[in-house]
Amino acid sequence: MNKQLLIAACMGLMAWGAVAASLDAPAPDGRRPGGTIAQETQAEPIPKIENKDLKRLRNYPEQPPTIPHKIDGYQVNTQSNKCLSCHSRTNSAKAQAPMISITHYMDRDGQPLATVSPRRYFCEQCHVPQHETPAAIPNTFKDIDKVLEESAAKP
Amino acid sequence: MKLTRRDFAKAQAGAVAAAAAGIPLVEASNLVTDSDQTQMQWSKAPCRFCGTGCSVMVATKDNQVVATHGDIKAEVNRGLNCVKGYFLSKIMYGQDRLTKPLLRMKDGKFDKNGEFAEVSWDQAFDIMAEKSKAALKNHGPNSVAMFGSGQWTVWEGYAASKLWKAGFRSNNIDPNARHCMASAVMGFMRTFGMDEPMGCYDDFEHANAFVLWGSNMAEMHPVLWTRLTDRRLSAPDTKVAVLSTYEHRSFELADIPMVFTPHTDLVILNYIANYIIENDAVNKSFVEKHTNFVTGTTDIGYGLRPTNPMEARAKNADKANTWEASSFEQFAEFVKPYTLERAAKESGVPAERLEALAKLYADPNVKVMSLWTMGVNQHTRGVWVNNLIYNIHLLTGKISEPGNSPFSLTGQPSACGTAREVGTFAHRLPADLLVANPKHRAIAEKIWKLPEGTVSEVLGHHAVLQSRKLKDGEIKFYWTQVTNNMQAGPNVMEEILPGWRNPEAFVVVSDVYPTVSAQAADLILPSAMWVEKEGAYGNAERRTQFWHQLVKAKGDAKSDLWQLVEFSKRFTTEDAWPTELLDKNPSFKGKTLFDVLFANGKVNAFSNDQIEKGYNNDEAEAFGFYLQKGLFEEYAEFGRGHAHDLAPFDTYHQERGLRWPVVDGKETKWRYREGSDPYVKAGKEFEFYGKPDGKALIFALPYEAPPEWPDADFPFWLCTGRVIEHWHTGSMTDRVDELHKAVPQALVYMHPDDAQKIGVRRGSEVNLTTRRGEMRARVETRGRNKPPQGLVFVPFFDAKRLVNKLTLDATDPISKQTDFKKCAVKIEAIV
Amino acid sequence: MWSLFKSYWHILRKPSVHYSLGFLTLGGFIAGIIFWGGFNTALEATNTEQFCISCHEMRDNVYVELKDTIHYSNRSGVRATCPDCHVPHNWTDKIARKMQASKEVWGKIFGTINTREKFIAHRRELAEHEWERLKANDSLECRNCHNFDFMDFTRQSKRAVKQHSTALASGEATCIDCHKGIAHQLPDMKGVEGW
Repeated sequence: MNKQLLIAACMGLMAWGAVAASLDAPAPDGRRPGGTIAQETQAEPIPKIENKDLKRLRNYPEQPPTIPHKIDGYQVNTQSNKCLSCHSRTNSAKAQAPMISITHYMDRDGQPLATVSPRRYFCEQCHVPQHETPAAIPNTFKDIDKVLEESAAKP
Repeated sequence: MKLTRRDFAKAQAGAVAAAAAGIPLVEASNLVTDSDQTQMQWSKAPCRFCGTGCSVMVATKDNQVVATHGDIKAEVNRGLNCVKGYFLSKIMYGQDRLTKPLLRMKDGKFDKNGEFAEVSWDQAFDIMAEKSKAALKNHGPNSVAMFGSGQWTVWEGYAASKLWKAGFRSNNIDPNARHCMASAVMGFMRTFGMDEPMGCYDDFEHANAFVLWGSNMAEMHPVLWTRLTDRRLSAPDTKVAVLSTYEHRSFELADIPMVFTPHTDLVILNYIANYIIENDAVNKSFVEKHTNFVTGTTDIGYGLRPTNPMEARAKNADKANTWEASSFEQFAEFVKPYTLERAAKESGVPAERLEALAKLYADPNVKVMSLWTMGVNQHTRGVWVNNLIYNIHLLTGKISEPGNSPFSLTGQPSACGTAREVGTFAHRLPADLLVANPKHRAIAEKIWKLPEGTVSEVLGHHAVLQSRKLKDGEIKFYWTQVTNNMQAGPNVMEEILPGWRNPEAFVVVSDVYPTVSAQAADLILPSAMWVEKEGAYGNAERRTQFWHQLVKAKGDAKSDLWQLVEFSKRFTTEDAWPTELLDKNPSFKGKTLFDVLFANGKVNAFSNDQIEKGYNNDEAEAFGFYLQKGLFEEYAEFGRGHAHDLAPFDTYHQERGLRWPVVDGKETKWRYREGSDPYVKAGKEFEFYGKPDGKALIFALPYEAPPEWPDADFPFWLCTGRVIEHWHTGSMTDRVDELHKAVPQALVYMHPDDAQKIGVRRGSEVNLTTRRGEMRARVETRGRNKPPQGLVFVPFFDAKRLVNKLTLDATDPISKQTDFKKCAVKIEAIV
Repeated sequence: MWSLFKSYWHILRKPSVHYSLGFLTLGGFIAGIIFWGGFNTALEATNTEQFCISCHEMRDNVYVELKDTIHYSNRSGVRATCPDCHVPHNWTDKIARKMQASKEVWGKIFGTINTREKFIAHRRELAEHEWERLKANDSLECRNCHNFDFMDFTRQSKRAVKQHSTALASGEATCIDCHKGIAHQLPDMKGVEGW
């Protein structure tokens, strides 16, 4: 390699390093390693979807359950709703899948309809699958049982 | 019954054992049934996320949020939330909540390159006062700037605006709504002379056709999407047309799906106007009585730095927001070249679909709701596109009545309520008043009980200009609240980061988590969030909603409102105002800004015993008066009697929100139409009273090319945006396990053939490079977004993948809103 | 005209004068091979994905949709092309299917599905043909690759094991009963059993 070119490249690299250093300053970590805004880190590989069919604990009864399986290629559009081919009332026994709750049959005013309410048609607006990846930042939310337990333990 | 920990554990263990053995429990011994134990306090609050403004019920127990669910009493959402909304309970409990002020220090003193160390609030305010006073004294009012938010509560935005505009006499305050709704605002102001939609969400249940202009409501306004879906599927004749530069989830419901070449929405809209005219579908009596025709100024540049050659070439950059009177005939002649063939050729959309779309608007029997957000607003001709959409609704008279509705959706929960209505922009005052107008300034001074001349006529800097002025060393003191511009603002590497790290500038970030912005700050202030304070938001349909403080903030965190008002005590009028002003008004001498702004007899007019029983109010307790009520009532004076009427403060704590103008206790669903809007005079039918003659403007505006497009060096379009699971920069949602695990990282959504061409595949790591910066990320070819060849989509929620290192800081020259939807990018495999 | 035909018939009926029987037999055989080879080559040429997607109707509709699915891209890189699933591998069935396909030539000429809208309007009918065919032959084209005897249930998800070890094993159900729309989008599924 041409020596001058090498020197020029080295100097360029050093200059870049200097610029980056003056832009970045130490900081608490957050979601990004502290003080590394100017730098680029390797992107983590895309993790797999957890596909164990195991029900997950809900944080509170009103929480929509997350999806415990893959939904690759599930078609939910004006033509068909793949989710309902197992989770609708009529199909749930055959598929042994949880039936969608009674609220999903109600219209805006809480009146039950003959079939699934159109307002609940797009399942993924509330129900999402989970990747096999750790939490980004731990969450210290305590569910009601924990809060009751702690309150009971108080003198 | 008092349950001890031991009892509780026993009950739990019994239940587990019984369940394992398959024995049904005869008594409910595994269940706590004592109502003292099981009762939780349920209170209403609007959702913390998007501009839809869903109401949620929040359960608290022992100073903690333990559950949330969709509020069945709320008209907006009737019991529904989206996946983010259902996890609101967890957003405040990320382990790394900020609880103490943190200052960059070396050897016990502030140092721009120092490490963050805990300081007291007193120390924090000391250095802030020192830096801002020095700036005011040596460099004038515009050297102190604030960057606020459409996620501020109404009174936080109002207090900030007042502190800046009246206290520091600086209009250098702008909200992040500039990135989000500024083009919509200018669209409204130009066409109607008054901000915010004429219609409301009730239109969803009345329309026969929905047209999404560059909006992906299925992910960005999910609960409104449920209303649209409900209508489409329960009334099968309803049609849904979806226009976008790539295929996304909203296409799942589309009867007329249209993927168009970026920027050619201008051509399509002019074609529709032409179609309406050529097919004799103009509502002549409406057009004659209620509209005027004008021709807008063209060749207006791209809001880039004046030194940029593209900017220098533009002839009319200095008079972008001007127009000339015209006529129907001239307008018809103007749109004539926008034929179906041309529209199809330039947009890449099949002609029959464009024609089907035009027919929806032209057919007098079809009620059309047009919907748009960032696809239109984040556009270097965003104001124009807003104007062109109104054109077609005005030409056909499809406006201001149930189901006929051009509806500009909002991104943030209070972009309307706070940023727009309170007027926290560099050029605005509350209720659509302008700082450039001496009469408007006088109104503000009168309501604020301040001397004439207090409010300055000098415009402040808009969001993008603030970043440039920081870099240029002109802004010396910069304070941001409830926003994360280091991640969400454009051109991070060339403008924002060098600006914040400029040794000339002292940057303060108020936030709840160590965001990327906090990491780049000099001082971090820990904020209270959402139900840790009393608040008010205004959603996209003019609905103002209140909530109470339900829990205490964590650690030493304080609300943004407390921070602003407490900080005002550090200044005397002498620190901030010129001697001439004080000499003329000696009674203001020697007072603190707190005295003149907040203890002015109005803001402190309500005592704390007016706070609803059973709720805390940390700010009222700290200052000794019902601060929120005082601020709101003073602010409401601006709009009452001027078509921005708000109801009395206490009403909002009872209602699930009301849509302004609220006149005689009644909200307004459709503005500008007689019988529905109390401000329309009898016999007028329609009256666009924002304009002096009550007539809306129909604009002749052409197609003009974008500032940057793909070429041999940078061959792809880059479009940025959101995903349903995450809110904006993910600082809240990425700390909720379920939401993070649903979408753990930002991916580059790409056409599989493009991937093959550049030698990558799903999961490959690539380097994205633009003329401004680079970023690494993984490729997704099978995801929810399906771009056409030549375009990639990358969301911006991921703090580890800062896509705004790549974006161009070109803005619409009228609204100054950034175009985050298109720039040219190169993509290379990392091997 | 008639006389011309008669004279040709006459020539054909006459035994050969110039060529030996051996030559004629061999020549006929070789010509037969060439014809047969040509026929099969042509047949095979129409039996490739390249041929299928040379029509934009296929390329812009079903082929685009296939690209999103596991039958196009997956961990091992074994992929299905159009004929793998849509043309029977057995020769007689293949010829029968090819003769049916002459109808598709008409469709192409008259533009029956030459826009996305028309294609979607016909999709239910087209899909039903395929479902019927696969139902009738016990999902033969699926089973050409997915052989029940060699399925390792320990490597399947719980739900898959449950269905495969019962309904599929007993012959009560065949692949297509559950796996509709796995390689392309589904038509309007109103009234389809199980949906």
